[in-house]
Amino acid sequence: MKSGDKAEVYAVDIEGDGISFENARLKDIESRMQSGVSLRIIKDGLQGFAYTRNLRSREELIRNALDSLKGGVEGTFDFPLTKNLQSLDTYDPSIETLSNARMVEECSRVCDLLSQRTTGQINVSASRSVGSMRIMNSSGTDFSSKSSAYRFHTGLLYPYTSASLNRTWRVKTFQEVPDGYLNFLAETYTMSVREVIPGKKPLKVFFLPETVYVLMWRLQTAANGLSIHQNISPLAHKTGEKIFHESVSVYNDPLNDTIPGARAVDDEGTPCRLFPVVENGVLKNFYYDLYFAHKMNALPSGHGFKGSVTAKPVPSLLHLTMTPGSVSFADIVQSVDCGIIIAGALGAHSGNIPHGDFSIGISPALYIENGEITGNVKDVMISGNIYDTMQKVTAVENTLHPGSGGNFPALLIEDAHVTIRK
Amino acid sequence: MFEILRKILSQVSAHYADIRYEIRRDARIVFQGNELFHIGSNITDGYVVRVIKSGGFSSVAFTRHDDAEKAVHTAEENAGLMALHVQTPVVFAPAEVVKDTFLPLLHEDPRTVPIDEKLELMRQYNTFALRHDKIATTNIQYSEVVREKYFVNTEGTEIREDLITTSINGLITSKDGTLTQNVRVALGGSDGFASLRGQEDELGKRTAIAIDLLKAAPVAGGIYNVVLNQDLAGVFTHEAFGHFSEADLIEDSPSMREKMQIGARLGSDSVSIVDDPEIPGQLGFYRYDDEGVTAKRVVLMDHGILTGRLHSRRTAAAFGENLSGHCVAEDYRYAPMVRMGNIFIEPGGNSFGKLIETLGNGLYILDAKGGQTSGENFTFGAQYGYRVKDGTIREMIRDINISGNLYHTLKNITAAGDDLVLSKTGGCGKGQLNIRSCHGAPHLLVRDVVVGGK
Repeated sequence: MKSGDKAEVYAVDIEGDGISFENARLKDIESRMQSGVSLRIIKDGLQGFAYTRNLRSREELIRNALDSLKGGVEGTFDFPLTKNLQSLDTYDPSIETLSNARMVEECSRVCDLLSQRTTGQINVSASRSVGSMRIMNSSGTDFSSKSSAYRFHTGLLYPYTSASLNRTWRVKTFQEVPDGYLNFLAETYTMSVREVIPGKKPLKVFFLPETVYVLMWRLQTAANGLSIHQNISPLAHKTGEKIFHESVSVYNDPLNDTIPGARAVDDEGTPCRLFPVVENGVLKNFYYDLYFAHKMNALPSGHGFKGSVTAKPVPSLLHLTMTPGSVSFADIVQSVDCGIIIAGALGAHSGNIPHGDFSIGISPALYIENGEITGNVKDVMISGNIYDTMQKVTAVENTLHPGSGGNFPALLIEDAHVTIRK
Repeated sequence: MFEILRKILSQVSAHYADIRYEIRRDARIVFQGNELFHIGSNITDGYVVRVIKSGGFSSVAFTRHDDAEKAVHTAEENAGLMALHVQTPVVFAPAEVVKDTFLPLLHEDPRTVPIDEKLELMRQYNTFALRHDKIATTNIQYSEVVREKYFVNTEGTEIREDLITTSINGLITSKDGTLTQNVRVALGGSDGFASLRGQEDELGKRTAIAIDLLKAAPVAGGIYNVVLNQDLAGVFTHEAFGHFSEADLIEDSPSMREKMQIGARLGSDSVSIVDDPEIPGQLGFYRYDDEGVTAKRVVLMDHGILTGRLHSRRTAAAFGENLSGHCVAEDYRYAPMVRMGNIFIEPGGNSFGKLIETLGNGLYILDAKGGQTSGENFTFGAQYGYRVKDGTIREMIRDINISGNLYHTLKNITAAGDDLVLSKTGGCGKGQLNIRSCHGAPHLLVRDVVVGGK
């Protein structure tokens, strides 16, 4: 490249296998071997971007990136020079010895154990993946990493429905799912399998870790540097203000290499760090990639992620977590006089997300009465705005569990707008 | 390319194998507010091989041609492993051998339109929305996806088919003080670039709705009788019933198969539902699915009675039912699965005015804003609505989400309008994103719908 031009290359390779069981029987075995390369260039204050899967022609990739320059997309930021990074343990070589046969065995074991303890249809899946990525840029960054992940997912279906109680297990290499995982599923399912009609008392609402993403999605959108730049975030100018209950702390932790997916840099080569979004209920930070950091005259915060080799980086929180509370799931249930457990959410992607609004169908909705899970309720919806709902958190579970987009505890909410067809 | 694919399949030692190779050409232009965020064209490609061996079945997706031998070996190994564990061997329903090249008829091939011209059109539309002082920002994208597909199987089928999809979609966001509202924009189709021109009126309507929503009151949660407009009724058809008609979703669920028996009464007499990818010029049109099976019109429900299902070759054999040609993939990254092509409720005999009059008191709800299903439970959002009182449309309402149970709701559809409309864009996310998933309906009158709200 000519002097004064800037460039960044991002390359990924991924191999993986997936096993799925439905109704406790082997349904599918799928494998994949996929790769891709993307190129960003900055020239004369403009940005170009191109990608391919098969790098047969470097010239074609460069040509596509140069052609894209002509569109006039602004590119006034610099690619970072990143060196001397903290070393993270993201790859466990023992994953290479994990065979599909072993994963089939584990799925069968879990199905057998659960079928002895529950009456529901059992769907499980296991998958392994090994990935490698490399980021190089014209500032001198040359970072590469290898990662491994093993994931096990269980769904217990309620009779004559596809609503299911779910839980996921995520680790860096194969481990049998622990007894606690199985006990939660079997016991909670058995207590809630009967359909009930709720009483008329005011209902508390209990988000399981698997459904906390509904709330976090709205926070992520509002704290996103893109939303701040577009002036559509309800959180603009609110750093330092209390927006949630003081028991709630939300942060992004890409450096936690005890779980899969840890990252020392984002997809632009900016170093990652432990990043508080909300601390004891107080809004602490917005998050940026290189592009929006420059737009907002802010420091890049290491949150430029691509999602796919075919996409440009955008501000993303991919390692969200919350500070665990002090109460166990069982103790929280025991404390509830009358409540609904949100074990599954439908329609989280609809509604006025930037504004913080949500209106979701709950499927399944488990019913708590006098401190016990007594059944499940049909045709339930809950609506609200997270800046109201999250002020009413009255309990935070003392354990984190994998959910969509991060690791979360269960959250008990004092009251919410619940609509039930009687 | 057929020769290359035949050569890969010649390495397979199995009862059946197929391979699909695709070249995907994308063009995208993205505006965020006044700023051009992205513009570019790119080409990607890849393969998916599938094998049935000894009664087991597996697929492998791979990028590089050099990995073909390893992919074939892995697929055979996986199929062999599956064969050890399945109680019933996997069998494909017989399909005719096809040798064909099918290229769609287009009104202005987008590949012949210079990107500068596309950029200028997008800039005009974007500026059109942003000129209002209550519009805070836009997030609008032009997308063009050309899939050049090659399919070969060991039965002798060889098909080349192109799928070309263009769309303009995104959000227009209005703002008043701290309140923001947004409205989706969705234009496009599979019949060429011409359908994207001259859409200023549509952009104007969407912008006006976004501004009006700032003054609308949030809906009060409760149980209502409602009239759904065509877009929302189409999404309801897709979410509430369509996924249930995908055989792979109920294949291994004894309780669901019991409920979804052909001949069962599931809906009212007012409800007849069809999936028809054969209708030319609509978003969901295709000739052959990704198993090389010819796409067919399927009557799924006839006046409330379940009459059909959507199948892959595997599920058609498992159910003992006819092939329908509904097994498709998003692109080369995925094995195909059963998907809706173009699902819609057939029109009835009622005018829109008659439906509102019959409704009397309730809600008139319009335009889908995302939906999701979990078996028989569904939830979907509406862009906006109106309160209806004494058969007259009154004030606008917002923040509307509807939830329900398929069986209850299908039986609670009391009347269908005479004004069927099919969607222009799609986005079904059943594991993979199907941008050509078309849906449609006339206006529908539905009793006792659960509406979430304050």
